[in-house]
Amino acid sequence: MSINYSRITAFIFLLFFVLYSYFASEIVVFDFDEDADFNARTFPLLISYLGIGVSFLTFVLSKNDGQTMGQYEWLGVIVLFVLVFTYGIIIKSIGFFLSTNLFLMAAYYHLGARSYKVLLLCSLPVVAGMQFMLHQLLGVYIRDPFLYSLGIIS
Amino acid sequence: MNDGILIGLETAFAGYNIFMVVVGCFAGTIIGMLPGLGPMSAIALMIPITYGFDPASAMILMAGVYYGAIFGGSTSSILINAPGVAGTVSSSFDGYPMAQRGEAGKALAIAAYASFSGGTIAAIFLLVAAPQLAKVSLSFHSADYFALMCVGLLSIAAFASKGQFLKAMIMTCFGLALATVGQDSLSDITRFAFGNINLMDGISFVLLVMATFAMSEAFMIIFKKTDINFKASDVSKKKLGSIKLSKAEIKEMVPVIGRTSILGFLVGVLPGAGATIASFLAWGFERGIASAKDKLKFGKGSIKGLTAPETANNAACTGSFVPLLTLGIPGSGTTAVMLGALLSFGIQPGPRLYVDQPELFWAVIVSMYIGNVVLLVLNLPLIPYIARILAVPKNILVPLVLFFSVTGVYLISFNNFDIYFMAIVALISLVLRTMNFPMPPLILGFILGGMLEENLRRALLINDGSFSFMIDRPISLGLFIVMILIVLMQVYQIIKNRQTNSRDELT
Repeated sequence: MSINYSRITAFIFLLFFVLYSYFASEIVVFDFDEDADFNARTFPLLISYLGIGVSFLTFVLSKNDGQTMGQYEWLGVIVLFVLVFTYGIIIKSIGFFLSTNLFLMAAYYHLGARSYKVLLLCSLPVVAGMQFMLHQLLGVYIRDPFLYSLGIIS
Repeated sequence: MNDGILIGLETAFAGYNIFMVVVGCFAGTIIGMLPGLGPMSAIALMIPITYGFDPASAMILMAGVYYGAIFGGSTSSILINAPGVAGTVSSSFDGYPMAQRGEAGKALAIAAYASFSGGTIAAIFLLVAAPQLAKVSLSFHSADYFALMCVGLLSIAAFASKGQFLKAMIMTCFGLALATVGQDSLSDITRFAFGNINLMDGISFVLLVMATFAMSEAFMIIFKKTDINFKASDVSKKKLGSIKLSKAEIKEMVPVIGRTSILGFLVGVLPGAGATIASFLAWGFERGIASAKDKLKFGKGSIKGLTAPETANNAACTGSFVPLLTLGIPGSGTTAVMLGALLSFGIQPGPRLYVDQPELFWAVIVSMYIGNVVLLVLNLPLIPYIARILAVPKNILVPLVLFFSVTGVYLISFNNFDIYFMAIVALISLVLRTMNFPMPPLILGFILGGMLEENLRRALLINDGSFSFMIDRPISLGLFIVMILIVLMQVYQIIKNRQTNSRDELT
């Protein structure tokens, strides 16, 4: 049995469904529901059995499709992932306007845009337009300490 | 029924809703045109915007986005041989060769007329079929619904898997498992939240769709180093050529439209099958029945070869609304996203929708006619301008898609946790998609999970805990047989593939 990415993924899913099955059996139900035909445990347990079955079959039957992972642009995606994560961390503290502009400019820069004009024109008007649409047209209020400190929003 | 149609007409022709159709078609065309971003991503990006709308307007907008995206996908298929949507891959077989020999304008016009005709004819079928099916489905019991949902899940796994049925089934189970996170609807017992307050309400449907489609598509463009850059001058009016069709060309198109719109609609109605299968079948069907002389033209710029998939994919889009509106079971991955959106509006699609909310039911159907007209009127003259979106470089496009995805999810909950969770889900789905684990079964499993559990619970309680309900009722029994057939077909396929592979290895 050769090792390939499909087989490894199927094995990870197999472990996931075994764990899921364990946690499903640990769901605490009401005493009167313990021996009921159907309780909060029943459906998750059925899914876990099915999941274990299909992931085991995939694990056994997967063929080596010659797939390699080295050909892909991992670093580019991981940096984007970190940028999205950082955006999530700062969005509340510094506000929507500033955090979104920083996120967009950093992402443009990371993906190869170097012109200041592009960096500014593709972020500032987009974010301002979006915030205007949300506040003025859709009535969605986003807390923004930065714009509040400038007196732009109340 | 007539009262319902009148209410639907009134709702669909309200100025606001016509505006929604126009915006939907326009936005769908633009997003669908971008290689990698399909109708599911387009609709996912629209969901947060629709939260302030009434359900009818939201559905009208999303339906417009759906067929707009299919039309947009055809444009990039024809012009640059890079289908934005899987359903338009077969359009590039004949559309791109036409564009290469300087007939891009004509190819786009054929695509527009075929899409319009396919969509309109299918909307007439929908008008007739939907109420009939809704009446029949009123007699469905929980056991029948449970069986029907199982058929839907199995068939989407079979059709969406491209030969990887087991992987698709893993994704279905994964989607069902994710649906169990949060409070159990009957007992209110919290499951799989592990004390995390952010998981107690369950995983947000919008988050999951945005992460698995819009965000992971954006990651995928970078991950696979997809070259989507295209010169704006390539779509200038001069380069596109004339969009006028001769009488002979129209005569060639008409019978193809007639045949493939029926085929497309029927394929669309089947649970799991959608525009992609319909378009490939239609192309193959037309090639199969063509004369020996015409057959040689297929793949080299045949008018029939372009008309067939274009008609069928739009007819299938409309057809996929039949099970959604009448049974509450999505016919495709895209309608699964719409079902999720409807559920988040507090609307349960199904046979009662036709009775309880005729304005929504009929307005969506009527808006399809309007949408088809809008697509034709709006897109045909504007294509040279709209197609310039293809010239947006990926270093600008990708961050914008990420921004709209993150904002869309954040605006619903204002919770940072959702952004972190979304980024992680997007990264996982990127890796899974690279290894051919399809995402539509995951979404369908997630959306149907709650309903599946509800109906199974009811059916088991009625039958004293016995699974005999699967064979007691004729409808359930019929559906159960269909399930077995689907599984057997897939097992046969797996065995056949293994035999072929081992034979290849020996030789």
